[in-house]
Amino acid sequence: MLQLRSIIFTLIVLLLCTGALQASTFEASTDQVKAQLITSVDAVHPGDEILVGVQERIIPHWHTYWVNPGDSGLPTTIDYVLPKGSTVGDIQWPTPRRIVLGPVTNYGYENEVILLSKVKVPDDIQVGKEFPIQAKVKWLVCDEICIPQKVDLALTLPVVLPGIASGNGSPLIKAAQTTLPVNSPWPFSIAKSGNTLAIRVTDVQFKKSNIKHVWFYPEKWGKIVHNAEQPWKISGDTLEIQLKSGDEPLAGDEKLSGILTLTIDGAAGSVTQGYQLSAHAETVSTIGAIDAQAPDLVLSSALLLALLGGIVLNLMPCVFPVLSIKALALIKHANHNSIENKLHGLAYTLGILVSFTLLGGLLIILKAGGAQIGWGFQFQSPLFVLGVAYLMFTVGLSLSGVFSIGGSVMGIGSSLANRSGYSGSFFTGVLATIVATPCTAPFMGAALGFALTQPPATLLTVFLSLGLGLALPYLILSQWPSLQRRLPKPGVWMDRLKQGLAFPMYAAAVWLVWVLAQQAGINSVAIALGGMVIIAFSAWLYESTKTGIKSTQRSGAGVAGLSLWLALIGSYLGIDTSPASPLSNVETSSTFEAYSPARLSQLRTEGKPVFLNLTAAWCISCLVNEKVALSQDSVIQAFKEADVTYLKGDWTNRDDEITRLLAEFGRSGVPLYVYYPGKNSPLKNPIVLPQILTPDLVIRTVKPSLSREKEV
Amino acid sequence: MFLHRFYPLALLSLILSFLAITTVNAEPVIDKPAPLFTGAAADGSTINLADLRGKTVILEWTNHECPFVVKHYESGNIPNLQKQAVAQGIVWLQVITSAPGKEGNVTGEVAQKLNAHRGATPTNTVLDGNGSIGKLYGATNTPQFFIIDPKGVLVYKGGIDSIPSADQSDIGKAENYISAALADLAAGRKIAKAVTKPYGCSVKYAS
Repeated sequence: MLQLRSIIFTLIVLLLCTGALQASTFEASTDQVKAQLITSVDAVHPGDEILVGVQERIIPHWHTYWVNPGDSGLPTTIDYVLPKGSTVGDIQWPTPRRIVLGPVTNYGYENEVILLSKVKVPDDIQVGKEFPIQAKVKWLVCDEICIPQKVDLALTLPVVLPGIASGNGSPLIKAAQTTLPVNSPWPFSIAKSGNTLAIRVTDVQFKKSNIKHVWFYPEKWGKIVHNAEQPWKISGDTLEIQLKSGDEPLAGDEKLSGILTLTIDGAAGSVTQGYQLSAHAETVSTIGAIDAQAPDLVLSSALLLALLGGIVLNLMPCVFPVLSIKALALIKHANHNSIENKLHGLAYTLGILVSFTLLGGLLIILKAGGAQIGWGFQFQSPLFVLGVAYLMFTVGLSLSGVFSIGGSVMGIGSSLANRSGYSGSFFTGVLATIVATPCTAPFMGAALGFALTQPPATLLTVFLSLGLGLALPYLILSQWPSLQRRLPKPGVWMDRLKQGLAFPMYAAAVWLVWVLAQQAGINSVAIALGGMVIIAFSAWLYESTKTGIKSTQRSGAGVAGLSLWLALIGSYLGIDTSPASPLSNVETSSTFEAYSPARLSQLRTEGKPVFLNLTAAWCISCLVNEKVALSQDSVIQAFKEADVTYLKGDWTNRDDEITRLLAEFGRSGVPLYVYYPGKNSPLKNPIVLPQILTPDLVIRTVKPSLSREKEV
Repeated sequence: MFLHRFYPLALLSLILSFLAITTVNAEPVIDKPAPLFTGAAADGSTINLADLRGKTVILEWTNHECPFVVKHYESGNIPNLQKQAVAQGIVWLQVITSAPGKEGNVTGEVAQKLNAHRGATPTNTVLDGNGSIGKLYGATNTPQFFIIDPKGVLVYKGGIDSIPSADQSDIGKAENYISAALADLAAGRKIAKAVTKPYGCSVKYAS
């Protein structure tokens, strides 16, 4: 018994000793880095190929470097000392990350990295002997400051007979292999033009997958500028990322090698995977610039653009009449209680923000349901269009003085003398939002295109920013009495202006009925106009009985309400809501053809230049552009001379093909104008035109030579 | 709908007024005029690059605490190059871009003492604590060098030698780009290797 105990004791001591001995050699630490030598096996057979690696565990905020350390720094080096006849491969570098300090961009690793190499055990090594591995590891570890360090690591593996298991080695090896870049599973090409390089990777999954971020890490210094932006875009099935040539650009026959990383948002959060690429660059005449705004817009600039877009919306013809009514109310009250004015301003803002939240919420729900939708999508519903037409008409009637509802839902309806009703201000905000939706103001396109690809919280934030922009001019005016005093003096002119503003509202109603006619056929026009007659009748009845005795008042309001309901229900039942077949609204004319994906790709294959206009009958900006630019003789002439095919795609009704095309250009709504240069043009990539067109702008785009001649 | 005529114009002018102005990073390019700067020097004077027309100027980005700088000063490598260059009539300017509070940020007085202590004899030391000259030249490393010819044209940008390491023992084995450049300049030749890869610590910019 005693003997047994002493044997166990001796064994334990022995184990501890060897353990301690090993610890002093296979592991080593500096103040910043703990390193250990690991292997994929516990024993080797002669002729085996095994993996050997060094794990660096780095204290927070410090990093070591990738094979190309970037603008400064040094990669880790490992010198293996192995028995004669062994061979060792290069370090298999895990996908690095970017570490940026001011203008200095580095590539390296934080927290932990494992650097693996393949080791070949000599065939003639004797079984029963040992296979010692020594590693002399040097690294530069930096946070703000840099410290070069070196450690010597060693371990020994027994050489066993073939047939005896070699063991599982360190579990870290498997973990390390998952951090390695994989060979690109996709076809790719690299183009070079001037000092721009473009990597293009093609895969059908790109469109659907939620790619958040793309970055290319070059394997060698000088091939690209490390701290330059790398704009990227996905168009069709192709992902393109552009790089700027560096101080030692690719020589004629030199390959560009490196790791392309894609960060994809998935169910388990965002995942970054590196793909190894290496190819010769093909020299091309031009590489089309990627619009930095889309789709790789950062949240802060999207918010700013949305805010600007919202402010500009106030000037759009859809919103301006509503806004001016609010401004008139303010003039009237400029000398009254300023607190009341402030509250009105806040109520109006709240109304807008609540509406935008609802709109955003609806978008999120529909998007979650897989619908292809975008800004202004609600106008694709004929019922909604009719509803807004009725609303515009009713507001017009109220402005004309046909009726007034004191301090109730129709804030605009309340006479300007009536100061009560914050709910009125609130609903003016709601109204402003509703009438704003068919307008796309500048700046909005990019911001909304960005928002629609984002998670719900971000989408709502961008929408609220847009709403705030819309509310801002009136909000500011209402909060500062000193600004109000600069407004013109109230007077009879205000009543005249108010009545005058009824006419844009009627015009808007007419336009909406026209939209409706295209969506739901000619019968819907009769229903809409009939409905308007009933609305006018109800309004008149209500107003003329309002001042009578109680019973007259009650019956008047009752009949008015009843006929109103009839009108609404009749419209609801009468309108044919089955969506019109796609493209039915655009008929090919002598100047343009209807867009279809097939026609576009046919023209593109033939190498013909194409001008594409994506529009909708309810989109005012689209109609304005068509009027002032696209249907001008000079533009039509230029299209003819440059042999440009003018394609028009109609988004008046829901059309998933067009929604997808919009998304390719990072947009969520119309208008979108794209010029696809022909095969003879030096330009290769489609050009996206601004959302406000001028004839000259269009002509200059399709016929650059023509305008130059003109300038001379 | 008279509004249609008015709005495109109004909006167009708005867009124009909001157009973001993109700043272009002026990076120094070989065989192009080197970016001009003025900066405070360690001896209290002001250095204006334009005033140095007619002389060859070497800019050496440095940070006395950076191990790579230490390697080339302790070994005598950079002090020797400075002596040689100054003897050739070249103006050698150290540039210290370390921001206040960061590694290597020193006053002019300390910079001069450090040089005296290290046996370093540059013509002068430019103090660039706000990083403006560093950013103008796109300096990323210490040590890193730019050579400007008497006409003000940039003729060299890059590192000190061909072996990126912090080991003094590597200096003898490496190809010294600066001494090769000095030889080319002395012989009136074009510098053979005008662009090389700099290595070292990152320049300690404020942000």
